[in-house]
Amino acid sequence: MQPSDLSLAAAAEAIRTRTLSPVELVDSVLARIEQVEPRLKAYVTVTADAARRAARTAGDEIAAGHYRGPLHGIPMGLKDMIDAEGTATSASSQVRAGHVAAADSTVAARMAAAGAVLLGKTHTHEFAYGLTTPQTHNAWDPDRVAGGSSGGSAVAVAAGAATFALGTDTGGSIRVPAALNGVVGLKPTYGLVPRHGVTSLSWSLDHVGPLTRTVEDAGLVLSALAGHDPRDPASLDMPAGDYRPGDGTDLTGLRVGVPRTYYFDHVDPEVEAAVRQAVEQLRSLGAHPVEVDIPMTRYVQATQWGLMVPEATAYHERTLRAVPDLYQADVRILLEAGELMPAGDYLRAQRSRTLMQQEWARLLEEVDVVAAPTVPVTAVKADEETVTWPDGTVEAVSDAYVRLSAPANITGVPALSVPAGHDAAGLPIGLQLLARPLAERLLLRVGHAYEQTRPARALAPAA
Amino acid sequence: MSADVLPAPEAARWAARAGLLLPAERHAAVAATAHHIHSVVAVLRELDFGDTPPATAYHPGGEHRSAAQ
Repeated sequence: MQPSDLSLAAAAEAIRTRTLSPVELVDSVLARIEQVEPRLKAYVTVTADAARRAARTAGDEIAAGHYRGPLHGIPMGLKDMIDAEGTATSASSQVRAGHVAAADSTVAARMAAAGAVLLGKTHTHEFAYGLTTPQTHNAWDPDRVAGGSSGGSAVAVAAGAATFALGTDTGGSIRVPAALNGVVGLKPTYGLVPRHGVTSLSWSLDHVGPLTRTVEDAGLVLSALAGHDPRDPASLDMPAGDYRPGDGTDLTGLRVGVPRTYYFDHVDPEVEAAVRQAVEQLRSLGAHPVEVDIPMTRYVQATQWGLMVPEATAYHERTLRAVPDLYQADVRILLEAGELMPAGDYLRAQRSRTLMQQEWARLLEEVDVVAAPTVPVTAVKADEETVTWPDGTVEAVSDAYVRLSAPANITGVPALSVPAGHDAAGLPIGLQLLARPLAERLLLRVGHAYEQTRPARALAPAA
Repeated sequence: MSADVLPAPEAARWAARAGLLLPAERHAAVAATAHHIHSVVAVLRELDFGDTPPATAYHPGGEHRSAAQ
């Protein structure tokens, strides 16, 4: 096993006990990047020299007895929506040509303070406005979509080209590529992780969170990310905390909501079977499955679009007028069409969100977590634009991938995607766990316990 | 916007009102996309909101929602 294969927790333990140096780890991951990047194209920019310098500094600090914690000397990627001082935040777009971030985003600064080593910036679907990340290839099959919009981050983690990465999630953009590439993705509670210095897609739906190889790793990264920053007006007045899950797998008494509606409608049978099998695994750990009805499902897509479309158009108002030809066609037309949405539609979406939050709060009094698929289908071929369901319904790939993620963006509840096996083609399937606002510790405990019941995961074979 | 397909010249006029001058060759495509978006969000009109306020955040004086709320 190469150092690049290690989970964050395993690499951190090896660094803490001086059996692995940050330089050895970073060199190993940079070598993997050189090996896989020509096929996978996860990165916009790799800052190898700066990463090696940071690794040497981390090694010197640790040798001098100044160990900062489990992220010290760990190499990571930042989705290229997230500012890191002195580097471009390209948003994978020509619109941002020549951009240089004047300062670190809050999350980049927190990663640096924790001693993490920045490897580079990972690809996003342009400005995070899409679910496939077409520049990047799926880590398990390069002919298939990476998922998005944090596709580069997910592929890099899956392929050993980053020990962990950060992404953003407005309608599933952490969880969808995590599921499609067989890694863990956490969308925290709205406001738990500050977004200052992160390019917005939709202010009222945007979240920042980790993509990792294990649930434990996600807890370690969240511990360094969470905490109040008044420069993000949505930031919750919360102190930093320890989110690392404990070793226990006893889930006795846990009420697991199993949706009767919505989350298993128009879902591939292999995905459904894997998620229902995961629920049985949770039952074997002591959990108690409870059937639940998901509220207001008819209004999920309408609410998501009613919020996202006008907010995205507002963010891009100036550049859409100044340099419209620099946008990719799929993003440009959505931004243009968003100009035509009346304010009444936006307000209806915000009022619908109020109702949906109330209904989900009631649901999450009945159960402690909800277990569901992350996405209804595994990674589709890169040239496929629609999914056809057995009843003849045709659904756009992007609509299908957003469908099961959007409720957590609208309501702000935390949601975790955990690998839950593979379909017959060998492609990863994601289990999604949702919980009450700020119940990340519970979510990570359940995800970690489930993960203990599964065989250890290897890196993606295409790597 | 009516439930009927938005005519391309109408889409261009709406965009111009919003300060976005669309080239003629984009009118039809923007109209079609705007119509599709409208058809998705229009379902929200079925809801009886009563006194339900919008879920927008506003915190005067730099206060922020705490975990207890």
